[in-house]
Amino acid sequence: MFMEFNFNVDWIAALPEIFILFLVNFLIVYAVIYSTSPHLGYPILIRNVTWLGVQVLGLALMLNVSNPIIGVIGFNNLLIFDNFSILVKSVILLSTIITLILAMDYSKFENLNCFEYVILMILAVAGMMLVVSSYDLIAMYLAIELQSFCMYIIASLKRESEFSTEAGLKYFILGAFSSGLLLFGCSLLYGFTGTTNYQQLFQVFSSVDKAVDIEISNAIILGVLFILVGMLFKLSAAPFHFWAPDVYEGAPTSVTAFFAIVPKIAVLSLVVRLFSFVFYGLLLPWQEVLILCSILSMLVGTFGALSQNKIKRLLAYSGIGHIGYMMMGISAGSIEGIYATFFYVIIYVVMTVATFSILLSIRKQGNLSKLKYLSDLSGLFLSNPQLALSFAVIMFSMCGIPPLAGFFSKTFVFIAAVNMEMYFLAIMGVMTSVVASFYYIRIVKLMFFDSKTQIDNLNVLSKENSLFLSFCCIFLATFFLWPTPLALTLHNSIVYLCL
Amino acid sequence: MFNFILSWLILIPFFGILLILSTPKTQVETIKFCAFATSLVAFVYSLFLFILFDSSTSKFQFLEYSEWLPSLNLHLFIGVDGISVFFILLSTFLVSLCILTSWDSVVKYEKEYYICFLSMGSLLIFVFSVLDVLVFYVFFESILIPMFFVIGIWGSRTRKIKAAYQFFIYTLVGSVLMLLAIFLIYFEAGTTDFQLLLNVSFSEKKQIVLWLAFFASFAVKVPMVPFHIWLPEAHVEAPTAGSVILAGILLKMGTYGLIRFSLCLFPDGSVFFTPLVYLMSVVAVVYTSITTLRQIDLKKIIAYSSVAHMGFVTIGIFSLNLQGIEGSILIMLSHGFVSSALFLCIGVLYDRHHTRMIKYYTGIAQVMPVYTLFFLFFSIANLGFPGMSSFSGEFLTLVGAFSSNTLTTFIACLGMILSAAYSLWLCNRILFGQLKIHYVSNYLDMTKREVAVLLPLVVCTLWMGVYPEIFLDVMHVSVSNILEII
Repeated sequence: MFMEFNFNVDWIAALPEIFILFLVNFLIVYAVIYSTSPHLGYPILIRNVTWLGVQVLGLALMLNVSNPIIGVIGFNNLLIFDNFSILVKSVILLSTIITLILAMDYSKFENLNCFEYVILMILAVAGMMLVVSSYDLIAMYLAIELQSFCMYIIASLKRESEFSTEAGLKYFILGAFSSGLLLFGCSLLYGFTGTTNYQQLFQVFSSVDKAVDIEISNAIILGVLFILVGMLFKLSAAPFHFWAPDVYEGAPTSVTAFFAIVPKIAVLSLVVRLFSFVFYGLLLPWQEVLILCSILSMLVGTFGALSQNKIKRLLAYSGIGHIGYMMMGISAGSIEGIYATFFYVIIYVVMTVATFSILLSIRKQGNLSKLKYLSDLSGLFLSNPQLALSFAVIMFSMCGIPPLAGFFSKTFVFIAAVNMEMYFLAIMGVMTSVVASFYYIRIVKLMFFDSKTQIDNLNVLSKENSLFLSFCCIFLATFFLWPTPLALTLHNSIVYLCL
Repeated sequence: MFNFILSWLILIPFFGILLILSTPKTQVETIKFCAFATSLVAFVYSLFLFILFDSSTSKFQFLEYSEWLPSLNLHLFIGVDGISVFFILLSTFLVSLCILTSWDSVVKYEKEYYICFLSMGSLLIFVFSVLDVLVFYVFFESILIPMFFVIGIWGSRTRKIKAAYQFFIYTLVGSVLMLLAIFLIYFEAGTTDFQLLLNVSFSEKKQIVLWLAFFASFAVKVPMVPFHIWLPEAHVEAPTAGSVILAGILLKMGTYGLIRFSLCLFPDGSVFFTPLVYLMSVVAVVYTSITTLRQIDLKKIIAYSSVAHMGFVTIGIFSLNLQGIEGSILIMLSHGFVSSALFLCIGVLYDRHHTRMIKYYTGIAQVMPVYTLFFLFFSIANLGFPGMSSFSGEFLTLVGAFSSNTLTTFIACLGMILSAAYSLWLCNRILFGQLKIHYVSNYLDMTKREVAVLLPLVVCTLWMGVYPEIFLDVMHVSVSNILEII
């Protein structure tokens, strides 16, 4: 199993990550030199750097998709490059590119002229790609820290805003705490098994004889649970969700979009790799925890959102609910479950991108103030019917009304749960999704039926945002006509993971 | 031209939607014309479905198959048999009528309105032709979205929001149980293909659970009595065309589901729960008929009488014999014509005076003779007068039910008397008597367009009443096939 460090193969396999890390350095140097140049009059580089960043990520995406070396465990068994990691990395890169482009309008309106956040985002993406590829607990921890540190900083991007600073601090303290738990779990595992490598851990657990030494296996279980809790913190699953609404609300919306979309993909893929592969031998203890957290997340996500009146807080709670459904798939502990989870992730990403492409771009004309409260949306149908219709498509899809794509993602998760005879979980999921439909259709009601208070003269969406919005909505609305290609692609990469 | 007739039927409204989307919203006439033309094309095309239909076999015809989600063993399978072909015809027919009737009465957001109706038109064909339980659920639910908008945006009063909410939540809660049952079926049988499931027999305990879960969904949609609260609200608040499509087709999705899925897949469960259904239906027939007598809103009267008629349908379905089921299908069709026509008649009054309270209308016969003729005709049809469509259906249903449960039939017959009571009393109150000039003054008889909307319904009603054989012929083999399964 242990392979020698093969210079050619390993470096080529890791080319996308290496490419990003190099180019980020160049970007920093370029941006620092030009933005402080008195000859050019201290130019505002945010737009320029964003496009350069998009190019970097786009090239990395191409490198990633056309990676010739698949199925390699490289760098002394630290990183793995297989079909699954390539798929997840592609999704991460693509969604980051879209988030960056979507946020351009926002930075213009809010005078958020710091190019650093683009660079930090790209750095965080490099961290996430390493998280997805990690094949060793040490590598995993280091990569998670790389992405987390970048995200702590960009959460408090708006230095002069109290909300943003508070968000950054909260995120940092709770994130550091969860990282501590994660590291403690890793050290427990290392102490009692003597290894940090996934492959070896897998072998240890799949052959572990539970009767041999009860103390040792309890410690191992404790370690595994610590790792799980660390992950759940990062995923903002209940009962570890308390930071999410505050951070979502406090951070600038461009950053919120990033938080809501990208890290979840990375951490979920890590959870899948860890718990469906490495710790699969210890299915029973972690499955119970996951089921509990899944139910709690669905409940918190649903009932928490019912009383929210700020858009971003509502989205935070709905995100918690969605995480609950995704964990339902993982806790099923079967191939269908993982498949359903990733299906859910992809549909969730599309829905969230669509939501934020609206939130980042619409503004009241005149004072250009952004829409903060749900009631600001009332009467949207009168002023901009197309926009209201797209928003309604997203909301119906989020609450899982067929034939929109959101229904299929939920269905697959429920099918996976029923197939493993977890009826209670499935019933809870179905019930919470019915209750959740209350607040989703409340938004639809506000936009379409409350015509008394009309938003007068909304700003038009920027071209890029409306492009992404229309793509996402058409995808959500017509997905049911031909779901085959996406389903098959996902299925193939998931099967590789489990073999 | 007739190779993929069902796919074309689904696609034609889509083309209409695309055409409407590409017209600017100021050109209202073009939009209306596009919508009406496409719906008419779809209707004419669906007539070919009926003509080419081979009524000598119980097999599904015009089968079309496409891979959908092969990894989960879900496929898109569409086809029709002698039962669903009628509902496809009925939906294309009523959608074009709805579009014609909204010509002048819808004055805001015309573009979105016609898109909603055309999308319902194509989704309904999916619902009635799909041969996969899960995919049926998908389209059964998806009608909620356009209907939610139709009630909420083009409804008449502020209470419409509550009505739209009720409609949405009631249906969603009911159908979610069906979704869970479908998962259970999928888990048991490994497929949700209807034709394959016919060969799978579930244990009796499972059948009872599954039947109940399916029934929860269909009973809300039909609606059976304790779950009918949403219906009068939705009808009263919806625009005329919305009520027409709600009463004309959407209610039939529930009863169609009962025949197609509950009876065929869970025969033991159906037999086990027949007394429950009888009880609920009898209560529906008597209770709602009496409730109808004390309503003051014109639309609520028709809405409650719909619930009563759907009670007859469920009695017929669960009589589990040939006459009963064929009769119930006939009632569904005739109810699709008659109650739609009555809603259209009320729409005519509402367009003129913008009220639906009975007390403002008396003596209309003196100033609107043509209207009176139509209203009287359909009221009489509604009460099940011999020679009208309802009579043939109700007669067959009661004959069928009589052989399986005499008491139920006896009580249900009371419903016929009560329906005569409320229909005639309604006619009396609004058509005859002194004209109340100080309430409503501007009386104008029906326009050509309104007559054109109602005339086809008159023809259908009479045809079905005088010569129902042509309908029975087509459905005969399919219904006997269902009975063989049971």
